[in-house]
Amino acid sequence: MKHQLTIGWLYPELMSTYGDRGNIIVLTKRCKWRNINVSVLSIDFKTTKKEIESCDLVFGGGSQDRQQGIVIDDLRNNKGPVLKELFDRGIPGLFVCGAPQLLGHYYMTGDDTKLTGLGIFDMVSRHFGKSKPRCIGNTIGEIGEEFEVEGLDFRNTVVGFENHGGRTYLGKGVQPFAKIIKGCGNNGEDVTEGSVYKNCIACYSHGPFLPKNPHIADWLIAKALELKYKKKIPLKLLDDTLEWEAHEFMLER
Amino acid sequence: MFIVSIIIAKFASFIIKFFHLGAGATWPGEIALRLNPHILQKFSKQGKKIILVAGTNGKTTTVKMIETILTHTGYSVRHNASGANLDNGLVSAFLQDARWDGRLSSDYFIFEVDEATLPNILKEFTPHILVLTNLFRDQLDRYGEVDVIAEKWQQALASLPPSVTVIANADDPHLVLVGEKLAATVKYFGLEDPSLFLPKMQHATDTIYCPRCGSRLTFGGVYFSHLGKWACGNCKLTHPRVDVASRDFSSPVEGVYNRYNTLAAAMVAREVGIEDSDIKEALKSFTPAFGRMEETNVEGKRVKILLSKNPTGCNESLRTVLSSKQKGPLLLVLNDRIPDGTDVSWIWDVDFENLKNFKENIFVSGDRCFDLGLRLKYAEVPCKGMYRSLEDAIKEGLKNCKPDQTFWILPTYSAMLDVRKILTGKKIL
Repeated sequence: MKHQLTIGWLYPELMSTYGDRGNIIVLTKRCKWRNINVSVLSIDFKTTKKEIESCDLVFGGGSQDRQQGIVIDDLRNNKGPVLKELFDRGIPGLFVCGAPQLLGHYYMTGDDTKLTGLGIFDMVSRHFGKSKPRCIGNTIGEIGEEFEVEGLDFRNTVVGFENHGGRTYLGKGVQPFAKIIKGCGNNGEDVTEGSVYKNCIACYSHGPFLPKNPHIADWLIAKALELKYKKKIPLKLLDDTLEWEAHEFMLER
Repeated sequence: MFIVSIIIAKFASFIIKFFHLGAGATWPGEIALRLNPHILQKFSKQGKKIILVAGTNGKTTTVKMIETILTHTGYSVRHNASGANLDNGLVSAFLQDARWDGRLSSDYFIFEVDEATLPNILKEFTPHILVLTNLFRDQLDRYGEVDVIAEKWQQALASLPPSVTVIANADDPHLVLVGEKLAATVKYFGLEDPSLFLPKMQHATDTIYCPRCGSRLTFGGVYFSHLGKWACGNCKLTHPRVDVASRDFSSPVEGVYNRYNTLAAAMVAREVGIEDSDIKEALKSFTPAFGRMEETNVEGKRVKILLSKNPTGCNESLRTVLSSKQKGPLLLVLNDRIPDGTDVSWIWDVDFENLKNFKENIFVSGDRCFDLGLRLKYAEVPCKGMYRSLEDAIKEGLKNCKPDQTFWILPTYSAMLDVRKILTGKKIL
């Protein structure tokens, strides 16, 4: 039987600041190379609730402030509730860059304006204006074995690049995604980076996170298949020599 | 104090050059600025004509084109070194031109100015002509978002008087928004050539929503990225009528982006009072700035270097290579040093997938060659070799290049300097 996955991509035109589509390319190709059919659904203003419900995996990239302003109302009023339903059901998701700020309870801007988020993730974010510098640079995080996929290569590290002004603080309803080893992570205080709610990952790493973290890409694919077909679907081992070379190069830098 | 700082800075410049400590493109200016923070004001008060060129892509080439035309007409011209486009680079150029008593000798000063620095420069002096080439996403870690730059420009340009001419790209919605309410005289250039429209929108587009009201823009066609025949159906921000179009002046170099640079330079020349026929004649003698379609000969083989430092620039470089009659191997070089931007995410916005139809060998190198290799892997484009050593990569590329072929090199900024150094080391450039 040939497996099939639908990947929902939130506002590709508006939430794609810097190479975010790399994640979609990686997910798509890694499925294709395993003979899994993939269709990518662009979720924008016109997308219906029913269409969103057909997604087996959801991705959200970063956006500039103005773009975020354009999507936020639509997300809160129309897309938020159905996305929460999906994630509560265990549909895997990946949110990079600014998207985590969107998913939490609120985001306090530098001039103390409180922007209400979707509230799917138990966390809050805050921008301290000029009193705290932007976090910019390469990052390394340490992750737990829960991201290991049977039969595939696993590393307990993730590498990324962060560029954010805000700081995020996690509540009890989410787990940290990684322990930050290099870089700032969520807030530069509690060594956490990103957060996990059920099978949904939000992180401050921005842009193309998955190319150099193929284990996370495969974990998302495995979770999506498992949920859709209600059993573990073994994933074919791919030749990831280049991916790990690039990953390890960043660890050593 | 003005003269003292000039003497000290000029002396430092002499020392730097004498001991080969650097090219002196920024350091003398830095020293002078420390001694005299408003030295730019002092220089500009001598009444010389100053032309500024700002924007994401095309600055260096546009400056060189303006210089070519003005020099051809008989003016003496001074410009800042490519990439030395912060205040210290401008001061260094003034210092080079100034005599020991601080008096400037050239007729015209043409400066490329960094996007983020432009507002500060405009606080120091008022140029005679200001050229705005385009705004694309570039080095987010340094510049921030396109919207933010446009907003800062809008504020900074508001104080320019009507005697100043702002020459802007009509095909870029952000620049039209910037030009909209200025007291300065605003003139526009645009391609106006539907035969150059792309078959579909590229992924790397930065302004597809109206910069004024946020509605989706409609495009009658795009030349690349978001440059094209655009309109906002909601707030009625529209593509202005252009004063110069591509039918008026043809570009001396390949590449659609060079057509824009040509139009911008020609408009400046017109503004200076040069006849169209003289502009056209002068452009024929134009040779590309280094690393910008720069052509050189190595062991009887043609080498072309196309600086490719952001998604739009890189897409256009690929388009130039793919559409060129000159065939040959391709080397992509990606560095992540400060001048390149430390974030290499942007390579995922480049349509490397277009290289699937490229018949020649492709090599990658640079500090982040693995990232490039991965990008090609996921574009399903075969990569012939990945080289940590740039020297080996260049050797291999040359070996792969047949005598009648062209070896194409697409480097980021610092990589371009390295490429040239290697070629110079071989006494080639």
